[in-house]
Amino acid sequence: MKWKWLVFPALLTLLLFPAMTAWAHGAHIEYTISMAVEIVAAYDTGAPMAGGQVTVYAPDDPATPWLEGVCDEDGRFVFTPDPTKPGTWDVQVRQAGHGDMVHIPIGEDMAMTGGGGYSTFQIVLMGACVIWGFVGTALFFLRNRREYAHS
Amino acid sequence: MRKPYRMLIVLTLLALIILAGCGGSETGTLQFNANGEDFVRQGFVSKDGWAITFDHVYITLADITAYQSDPPYDPHAGGEVEAKTQVALDGVHTVDLAEGGEDAPPILVGKVADAAAGQYNAVSWRMVNASDGYSLVIVGTAEKDGQTIDFTIQVEPDYTYTCGEYVGDERKGMLQKDGTADLEMTFHFDHIFGDAETPPDDDLNVGAPGFEPFAGVAQGGTLDVDMADLQAQLSAADYQMLVDILPTLGHVGEGHCHSETH
Repeated sequence: MKWKWLVFPALLTLLLFPAMTAWAHGAHIEYTISMAVEIVAAYDTGAPMAGGQVTVYAPDDPATPWLEGVCDEDGRFVFTPDPTKPGTWDVQVRQAGHGDMVHIPIGEDMAMTGGGGYSTFQIVLMGACVIWGFVGTALFFLRNRREYAHS
Repeated sequence: MRKPYRMLIVLTLLALIILAGCGGSETGTLQFNANGEDFVRQGFVSKDGWAITFDHVYITLADITAYQSDPPYDPHAGGEVEAKTQVALDGVHTVDLAEGGEDAPPILVGKVADAAAGQYNAVSWRMVNASDGYSLVIVGTAEKDGQTIDFTIQVEPDYTYTCGEYVGDERKGMLQKDGTADLEMTFHFDHIFGDAETPPDDDLNVGAPGFEPFAGVAQGGTLDVDMADLQAQLSAADYQMLVDILPTLGHVGEGHCHSETH
């Protein structure tokens, strides 16, 4: 009987309907965990650099500001560095002709920073490989000549 | 020698030459500038109301060295700079920070053409006595309420400044291969005379002698003194204030330096 095919969907709709109504009035919160950096800028006297101009430089492009902002009245500034850019993040704060720069290492153990180059061992190994490449090529041709000489 | 072995030797030598080329150092040109800022180029009003203009500000610099410091040098902590790479500008250089017009660029002290590429994030130098016996000579005119004083102030002591990275509108010292980068030795003369545009209770003005003490020992509209004269003529408090503030002249842009007096 065809009506039997309608029983299960109907029951399912009745069971879910109250819940669906509740969802329409609910709230939804998602979260991600990120590492924020808070700096506090102050003059040598201890007075906060309220309104100090902040410039943040990321390690992959240290010549170009990654973020610019302003300290709050307590000289405080918070930013979340891009976790895909491990290395030293540089933060500069300036105000009224005075300023300072702080260097913050972030996740440096996860990746090598640019400009680090190769280790001595790596250089020696690469050199040996290149030399062996040439020597091998020479031996190959040498072997061919010997074979031709014997044939 | 058989021909195949000669070929083997030639190829090996070729490989070594290629490797030597790959391992060649990457260098560029590093410029060292000195900057007295707009205070020197354009003049300014001291904390006590004297309008000061400068004809010459001769400063003598030596042992100028740039560093790729690691860890980054902290001038607040002081001490030696730890660096894998450093570049020295040889010689003793006397420059006039007042040279050029009001909008003149910083004064080029010298350049090193074969500096290793990288980020130079620290610099040190000495202010040393020139052949005339002075490390700093300030020549200018001060005016206030119709009174004019032509002054020459000569400073004898040597100072060493050790600084971290330049702090300012742009980052300096980023030297690319075959490129040019500059570093700046900045001198803040408002530290001596104070600045009318800064609140009187600001640390800058509280620590600055101003011009009034100098005006007080001028004679006939002229002041021509060195530190020995000033010690004899200024009040003990004013002289000590001057002695205390002179080591703070050297900066890197707006960044402070660690200093020592010799």
